[in-house]
Amino acid sequence: MSVFLLILAAFFLPLFPATMLFTRLAVSTQPLPVRLALVVFWPQIGVVLILWGELEPGPILATWAVMSALFYAFRMLTVREVGRWNAMLAVSAWPLVWLYALQTPAPVDLVAVTLALTTAPVLMLVVREVLVGRLGAAYTGLHGGLARDLPRLSGIIVVATLAAMALPLFPGFFALLTLLGSAPVGFAIGILLIWLLWSWAGARLLQGTVFGPRSGPVAADLTAPRAWGFAGLVVALTGAGLIWTGGAL
Amino acid sequence: MELQWLIALLPFLAALLVHLLAGRLGHRVAHLSVGINVIVVGIAAFQLALYITGDTGPQWMGLANGWGSLQLDPLSAIMALVVAGISLVVHVYSIRYMFEEPGYARFFMLLDLMTGSILLMVMAGDLITLLIGWHLIGVVLYFLLTHNTEPPRAQRYAFWTFITYRLGDLPLVLATVILFQAYGVLDLPTLFDRIAESPDARTVMGLPVTGTVAFLVALAAFAKSAQFPLHTWLPYTMEGPTPVSALMHAGIVNAGGIIINRFAPVFVHSSEVLHLLFIVGLLTAVIGSLMMLSQNDIKKSLGYSTMGQMGFMVMETGAGAFALSIFHLIAHGLFKGTLFLGAGNVIGAARRHDGVPNEPLYDFLVERKSAPARVPWFIIGAVTLIVPLVILVGAHAWVAERFFQQQGAIVLLFFGWITGVQVLFTAQRLDTENPLRMMALIILSFAVIVIGYVLVGHSFEAFLYPDAAFRDALYSSAGIDKLTFDVLVVLLAVVFVLGWIGAYLSRTRQRPMDKLPAGARLMLYSLLSRELYVADVHERVTDRLLALSRRLNIWLRWR
Repeated sequence: MSVFLLILAAFFLPLFPATMLFTRLAVSTQPLPVRLALVVFWPQIGVVLILWGELEPGPILATWAVMSALFYAFRMLTVREVGRWNAMLAVSAWPLVWLYALQTPAPVDLVAVTLALTTAPVLMLVVREVLVGRLGAAYTGLHGGLARDLPRLSGIIVVATLAAMALPLFPGFFALLTLLGSAPVGFAIGILLIWLLWSWAGARLLQGTVFGPRSGPVAADLTAPRAWGFAGLVVALTGAGLIWTGGAL
Repeated sequence: MELQWLIALLPFLAALLVHLLAGRLGHRVAHLSVGINVIVVGIAAFQLALYITGDTGPQWMGLANGWGSLQLDPLSAIMALVVAGISLVVHVYSIRYMFEEPGYARFFMLLDLMTGSILLMVMAGDLITLLIGWHLIGVVLYFLLTHNTEPPRAQRYAFWTFITYRLGDLPLVLATVILFQAYGVLDLPTLFDRIAESPDARTVMGLPVTGTVAFLVALAAFAKSAQFPLHTWLPYTMEGPTPVSALMHAGIVNAGGIIINRFAPVFVHSSEVLHLLFIVGLLTAVIGSLMMLSQNDIKKSLGYSTMGQMGFMVMETGAGAFALSIFHLIAHGLFKGTLFLGAGNVIGAARRHDGVPNEPLYDFLVERKSAPARVPWFIIGAVTLIVPLVILVGAHAWVAERFFQQQGAIVLLFFGWITGVQVLFTAQRLDTENPLRMMALIILSFAVIVIGYVLVGHSFEAFLYPDAAFRDALYSSAGIDKLTFDVLVVLLAVVFVLGWIGAYLSRTRQRPMDKLPAGARLMLYSLLSRELYVADVHERVTDRLLALSRRLNIWLRWR
């Protein structure tokens, strides 16, 4: 039973090659609310399985989780379609929950850390939707230099990317600190490498969208109310992250 | 009211206000930003004065759950004033300099965010706040460097800076984790007390906590302060606006020295890491100076000059002179900031006058000036070698007799002596009408500088590290075996003197470079012109990694 649950959980807190199911679903699902629901609830099913089955991941599973996360973080470097990039970000972040589960935390903390690691994919989904709506596609390098005439849109891309890089004060930052707080040094080095790769991939994403010479079709910028709406979402998520995982170490 | 909160928080408030009011105030928003920065400078100066005149000692203030705290101690008090002061100058300069640039309000918002981030890092009272400040510096710098969003070169070099800074962020995270796991606290005063109580704690594989943490902090400092081989970003980040270059070279790049000083209670137990700091700093100073001399681009030359200075600063910490490194970074920040902000005037002056000196024959015949003269080389040689040594030793002996018992002090005197000799040697080579007068003036200037520097330096050290035993412990920790040290000093002194003799003789006889075979000369030229191929190696590795990532994605059909 527990082995079956473990394998099942490996699909929801995805470990390579079970990751491919989520990446396929994330790219093929169309309406935004469904995508959002998929991103928010998918890893929580894994958390529920861990808690319900009282699964105790051993060091081998934890090592596999780090390697899987590292693998996808590395692959993110050359992905240009923002939706696919986001799916890879998610399957690079969620396996780290296994490391936290290794420390048998309180259920609420496990849920909180998983949600914190889900924040960036949620924000990036919104960004992808806005990009596709305005430019017809969300490819880095295809429609570059948006900062010149689409400052609000560029602003939300920047904020979502900074969240994807798990920079302070975004919830991902505190989630990673929580993970690192009691991780063995070997795993800690793995997490730091993943963190570095996210930063590299994020910077490449910014260079291919916000910065550089302007290319692509003329498009209207985000309206002020929508930009404020996004800012409100960011503030709410950051505030929730600070309250739930801000205690960090 | 605890005013130290305002020092770190007001710049963030300024950034928010600039963003919100930019549409309504237009270009006047810059004055709002400057106004708030004036208040920050005022509070920082007031706090420093209060700290010096009062007897409250270091103060710590934080939120309940262990992080989100600031502290006011000698290091944070003095650095807060320096950072806020330099930032204010850059703000004022930018009002007109950036006036016609697009994104005027965004620039001031970023400038305020950068000021706030540095102040947060400088004043952090716990490990998490320190990490937040440390991370934010790199991120905000990236956006400042890409302020002009279109030129690909600006993007490229801003990315180099960003990724190097991220490389420097992560060792500090690991150091934080190790410290928390070993000592179970986050706030710095308690942490340092516990380290002093049990400095022999062990971490993974039986490694000493203090040594491991010191090594990781040193790595973080190397990335932020452009130490070899993590220096390539510094000379290339001139694509950003000039005020950003000034702020970067005068303030941001000093973060390495500040973090090393902040962790002095850890470094005092880590002799090996102090030696590593010395070696890396020395290497960086030499390579930075060599590269500075071989550049034909003046801005890159300034960049390499900063690299050399940062190397010297790190080397000072490696010699145990922690306070001196802070004194150095403040002095360097002020003069380098002035150089950058005055660069436009230099260019203007160069357009009016090419600066090429006249031929001596022209001066003699047309300008009616007397022919240049020289003092006999033997007298000059003796004066050149002995006078700086006498001034340096005399000044230090006057201020602190026990100073000479520390190896670190001898190292610094040695470098001071070399610098003094080099100045006199260069002066001796100048063509001048009255060489004796020039020599006397230089010796006088040197004496004034050394005596002033020594007086201020020793007072500064006593202020920054009031505990004399701790200062001695830092010097002792940086020391090496006495015999090895003495041999090294004598050997290096001989090498330098021979070098000066060689340089003198090369003026009258064949130049040493001309004696080298053509192949060796070409190799040397290639090495220097390609800047030791460090950037090429970084690029090659990056390209390989990206190619591998792309291949993996193709194999797995992007899933």
